[in-house]
Amino acid sequence: MDKLPQPPLANVAERYSRQVRFPAIGAAGQARISASRVAVIGCGALGSAAVDLLARAGVGEIVIVDRDFVEISNLQRQVLFDEADAAAQIPKAVAAANAVGRINSQVKAQPLIADATSSNIEEILTGAQVVIDGTDNFETRYLINDACVKLGLPWVYGGVIGASGMAMAILPGETPCLRCIYPEGQAAGVLATCETAGVIGAIVSLVAAVQWAEAVKILIGDHQHLGRGLATFDLWTNDYLLATGFPRLADCPCCAQHRFDYLEARHTSQTTTLCGRNAVQVSPGHPLRLDLAELGRRLASAGAVSISPYLVRLGVDGHEITVFADGRAIVKGTADLGTARSLYARYVGV
Amino acid sequence: MIYLDNAATSYPKAPGVAAAMVNALTQAGGNPGRSGHAMAVAAQGVVDATRRRLAALLGAPDPARIAFTCNATDAINQALFGLLRPSERVITSRMEHNALARPLAELAGRGVAVDSVAAAPDGSIDLDDLARALRVSPARLVAMAHASNVTGCILPAREVAQLAHRHGALLLLDAAQTAGVLPLDVAEMEIDLLALTGHKGLLGPPGTGALYVASGIKLTPSRFGGTGIQSEDEQMPEELPERLEAGTLNSVGLAGLGAALRFLSERGVAAVRAHEMALTGRLLAGLKDIPGLCIHGIADPVRQVATVSISLRGWEPIDLAAVLDSSFGIAVRAGLHCAPAAHRTLGTFPSGTVRLSAGCFTTEDEIEQTLRALDQLAQTPT
Repeated sequence: MDKLPQPPLANVAERYSRQVRFPAIGAAGQARISASRVAVIGCGALGSAAVDLLARAGVGEIVIVDRDFVEISNLQRQVLFDEADAAAQIPKAVAAANAVGRINSQVKAQPLIADATSSNIEEILTGAQVVIDGTDNFETRYLINDACVKLGLPWVYGGVIGASGMAMAILPGETPCLRCIYPEGQAAGVLATCETAGVIGAIVSLVAAVQWAEAVKILIGDHQHLGRGLATFDLWTNDYLLATGFPRLADCPCCAQHRFDYLEARHTSQTTTLCGRNAVQVSPGHPLRLDLAELGRRLASAGAVSISPYLVRLGVDGHEITVFADGRAIVKGTADLGTARSLYARYVGV
Repeated sequence: MIYLDNAATSYPKAPGVAAAMVNALTQAGGNPGRSGHAMAVAAQGVVDATRRRLAALLGAPDPARIAFTCNATDAINQALFGLLRPSERVITSRMEHNALARPLAELAGRGVAVDSVAAAPDGSIDLDDLARALRVSPARLVAMAHASNVTGCILPAREVAQLAHRHGALLLLDAAQTAGVLPLDVAEMEIDLLALTGHKGLLGPPGTGALYVASGIKLTPSRFGGTGIQSEDEQMPEELPERLEAGTLNSVGLAGLGAALRFLSERGVAAVRAHEMALTGRLLAGLKDIPGLCIHGIADPVRQVATVSISLRGWEPIDLAAVLDSSFGIAVRAGLHCAPAAHRTLGTFPSGTVRLSAGCFTTEDEIEQTLRALDQLAQTPT
C-alpha cells in the first residue's frame, strides 16, 4: 500500500517565527529552547497547561511525571486531556505525551507513570535544565526543592486553589528556596486542597503561564527578567501581587545547611499495606493532632462524610478514606501504595 | 504509650540488651570462631555464653545441639527442609503461622505429604484428632506451634510429643510465642526439634533465633559455607552447631540475646509466666464485660499465653487498632497476623482480629486503661 501523503509540516523557522520575532527570545533564544530538556513533575492542571505551552514553544524534550489516570472531573481545567482519555482512563503522563505528539511532533515527550519520590527524583531530573512544579501537595514540592538545591537546578514553583494561585522561580544558591519562604511544611490534614475547596480553570492558565515564562527566561539565560519573588493572584478579588521581600534564610535547612530532609525521607509520609484487607495505611511523617471536626467539615464538599470523636470517614471514587486523630489514614478499596498516597494528598493534604 | 504488641516483638527489651550490643561492636568486634586474636576470641566467648544460657533456659543437656539462626522462620525452614524427604508425611494444624505453613506448602509441592489437623472454632486442637491422623498412615514429623500467635492457645506439647513418638514420628515445636514466656524443658517434654526467635518472649534483638536439635537427629544443612572449622573439607562438618551455622554469625545480636537471657534467668520464666497469666486473667475478665466485644479463642488464662484476639461490634479491626493507637496511645496489631488458616478456623477471615498481647513489662494499670478505652469505643461504633 502506498504511503498516505503527509500534511506539509511548516519548517522550523516558520513554526516559531512569531516567538523568534519577540526580541527577548530571538533566534538565539529559540535555539536554546529547542536544545533544552524540561521536567514537569505532576501533570494535572498546572502540569498539563505548562506542557502545552512548552510543546508549542518547541522545547526539545519534556519529561512528564504523573502516576494518576485521566478522570472526567479533570477535563474542566486539565487542558491536554479530552473525553476519550477519560473514558479510556489513560495514565495522565501517557495522555499528555500523546497530546504533545499531536501538537508538535518535533518535541520529544518522555512519559513516566510514577510518583516522584525520594528514591527516583534525582534520576528523573538528570539532564533537565529547569523543573516545573505541577504537583498538588507540599510534600512533593519540598522534595523537588531538596533535589533541585542539591543538583543546583532551577525550578519554578506553582500552586492553585479556588480562584487564587502563586508562582515563583527558584535559582538554588541565588534566590530564596521554598524552605527559605516556608521553612517547615504545614502539618498534614491542615491545608485545603482542590478536591475540598475547588479550583477554576482560569487561575490554572494564569499560573502555568507565569511558570512557563519564568522557565523560558531560565532556559535562554535571561535571569535579569525573572520575577525574583512570589507572585500571587486572585482572579475573583482581583488581587495581583509580586512579593519580593523574602531574603534567603541564613540558616535555611535546605539551601544554607544542605540538610535534605525530604530527599532523605526524614519528613515524608509513609505507606503500609494492611495484610489481606485491600487497604493501605498512610501515616504523616511527623507527630500531629488533627481537628477531626474541622477536617470533616472541609471534606463534606468532596463526598459522603461521617464523623466520630475518633475518626472522619470519606467515601469517594469507590474508595473509603478513614482519617484518625494523629493524621494517619486507612484507605480502603486499594492495595496500591501510590493510589493511597495520591488520595491522601488530594483529600487530607500533605 | 501502652505497648500491647509483644506477640509481634517484645518492647521494651530486657535491661542490658542495648549495652551488650554496643559492647559487642566496640569491645568484641572480631569474627567468632574464625581467628585467634583477642577480639575474635572475645566474640566467640559472647556467642558461647549465649548458647550456654539458652541451653539452660530450654533444659537442653548439650549446648552444641542449639544452632543459631536469623529468627524462628529460619529455624523452622532448617528443620523442615533438613529433615523431610519426598513421599514422607508431616502432620500440622490449621492454626499455623505462615512461618510454618508456607515452608510446608513449598515442601508439598516437592512431594512431601502434608496433612492438617482441624482445630475447634476456639482454635484449640483435639489430641484425638491428631492421634487419628497419626494412625491413618506413618508420619515422619508432627509440626505445630507451641502457642497460637492469634489466640494464644497453648498446645500440650509433652502429650503431643509422646503421641508422635508412639507412632514413630518426631515433633517440631514452633516456640516463637512461648520461648521466654512458658517454662520449657526439651528433655523432659521429649521435644525433638524446637524453633524459637530471640526478639519476642526472650526479650532480645531481632535477627536472632535458634533451632534445638535433639541428639540422634541429623539434619541436612539448608545453607552451605564457611564454619571456621574443618576448612580443608569440601563438605559441611558433621558436628553441631557448625553444621547448621554456615557464614558469620550475628554476634552483635547474640550478645544482646545473651544479656536478655541473663535477665530472664534472674527473674525466672515461671515468674514471667505468673505475671502474664495474672494480666491475661484480668484482661479476659474485663473484656467479657464489654458489650458487643467478642473474644476469639479459649479465653482461659491457664491454657493460653498473654495473646488475646478480639473483635468489637461496629468496628473493623484495622479501624479499631488505628483508633486505639491514635486516640488512646495503645499499640496493638490488627488483621490476619500472618496466620490466614487460623482465621479461617476462627471464622474471622479475611478481616482478622485485633490482637492484644501483653508482655513481661506490661502493668496491671495498662490493662485497666486498655479495658476502659475499649469500653468507651464499644459505645461509639463507627
